[in-house]
Amino acid sequence: MNIPKLPIGDWIETLEAWLEAHFAPLFDVIRILIGSLVDFLQSVLLLGPPILIVLLASTLAWIAGKWRFAALAFVGLLLIVNLGYWEHAMETLAIVLTASLLSIIIGVPLGILCARSRVSQNVVTPVLDFMQTMPAFVYLLPAVSFFSLGVVPGVIASIIFAVPPTIRLTNLGIRQVPHELVEAAEAFGSTPNQMLFKLQLPMALPTMMAGINQTIMLSLSMVVISSMIGAQGLGADVYRAVTQTKTGTGFEAGISIVVLAILLDRLTQRIVKKQKTQR
Amino acid sequence: MKNWGLALSAVVLAATLSGCTESKETKEIKLAYVAWDSEIASTNVVKYVLESKLNYKVELMQVDAGPMWAGIADGSADAMVAAWLPTTHASYLEKYGKELEDLGPNLNGTKTGLVVPSYMKENSIEDLKQGEIGDKVDHKIIGIEPGAGIMSSTEQALKDYGLDADWQLVESSSAAMATELQKAFDAKKPIIVTGWTPHWMFAKMELKYLTDSKGVYGGDEKIHTMVRKGLKEDMSDAYKMLDQFQWNPDDMAEVMVEIQGGKSPEDASKAWVDAHEKEVKVWLEGI
Repeated sequence: MNIPKLPIGDWIETLEAWLEAHFAPLFDVIRILIGSLVDFLQSVLLLGPPILIVLLASTLAWIAGKWRFAALAFVGLLLIVNLGYWEHAMETLAIVLTASLLSIIIGVPLGILCARSRVSQNVVTPVLDFMQTMPAFVYLLPAVSFFSLGVVPGVIASIIFAVPPTIRLTNLGIRQVPHELVEAAEAFGSTPNQMLFKLQLPMALPTMMAGINQTIMLSLSMVVISSMIGAQGLGADVYRAVTQTKTGTGFEAGISIVVLAILLDRLTQRIVKKQKTQR
Repeated sequence: MKNWGLALSAVVLAATLSGCTESKETKEIKLAYVAWDSEIASTNVVKYVLESKLNYKVELMQVDAGPMWAGIADGSADAMVAAWLPTTHASYLEKYGKELEDLGPNLNGTKTGLVVPSYMKENSIEDLKQGEIGDKVDHKIIGIEPGAGIMSSTEQALKDYGLDADWQLVESSSAAMATELQKAFDAKKPIIVTGWTPHWMFAKMELKYLTDSKGVYGGDEKIHTMVRKGLKEDMSDAYKMLDQFQWNPDDMAEVMVEIQGGKSPEDASKAWVDAHEKEVKVWLEGI
């Protein structure tokens, strides 16, 4: 076997340089859009005193779940305030919400597309596998060279890592709609769009929400890695604590992330349950 | 497609222009740094001086070493005071050196090498060949992040001293290395780690460098200040201060030990700056 080493690394770097040279304006637009979105969310979350947001979130929890969930939200968020991580927690929350929102905007249509055509499913699936298994550290440097240091490359890295479940489960949810129902709808002369919005999406919603829930969890798990390229917040606190061998501080910031995770997780799950019971 | 590109460029241009005019009024500066104890100390001191003496609004960005260099090179951060040269960050300097401005060293007399607790009888790297030391530490040297300059220097040292056959350099992280060292030191056990000065471990434990007679670890390292191209025109006063910023390992260690002892980086820097008016005056000369 005398095959010389394939210059994959060189190809990648050439591609990176080419993208940087030709798509700079596009990257700048993306950067400004995502950056403004994160900044806006951050400033909203940090607008009033923390107690305002705490009460708001608890009310939301109470609407979505039971009083027990509301109490959990209230105590958990107050704990973050008490530990002194409120501002950083809101920065992190803004990043996670932006990444999740964009993942939904990108993921749901792609999932619908995959459900409608086998060809696109066969193209998208291997790409998703690649995105989910490629170690996130690998795209840190290209993300910086395309989008500069800051929250934006962090959001982009989070999206790459977190969007697959939304796409997969939207696809699955639509494909699982019973065949008889689809046939019945067709028999009554529904257009493809009516079929999608009146039958398939409502039926697929619980499965889709499970995907979106996973997406949110995955973008939360990226906060520490994102902090290495300038997305500050709780991730940077954890990273700094670890480099300084301060286990205690690391856990404090870590617990704040856990609180955010539990709240986001339960909230998205409750919405699904509500949907189910209403039907 | 062409028109699209034009439209996009126009949008971006407008956005950047409006961004520029804003920053002129409020004097904002972005400093990037790595979360190493030495850099946390120096960056926070510079931040405090820029804020209290020159009325800047300073944004700190804690990132990883590679992204830090990349960020200064592409201008998404303005400056850093954390470039370890000529050895540790050599690969970054090679890649990004042309795209940033080197303002020279801000600290001389850093050092890298193999570090052991002072209760061990070994004094030089040659000593690792003899006696039971190899068996005692399982022929392992505890290293830090793979890819750090000190790691490649150590691999080279193992080769040059003929230790590469049975010794092994363990890749871990700066934090894990310090934890292992602390554990071994508390238990009075033998341990060999890759170490560097300035580092708080020398303040907390009695340690020594193993003599490097072949000079594999090179001479002393210096920490340089790097700024983005064009900073001189945009923020001449901050540029001048960064250019004149210089202190020594003892100064840095003072701040580091305070932080390690539980003070916040902001408080520790403020305390140091307030206590060292003479040094700080030199940094601000002619501004």
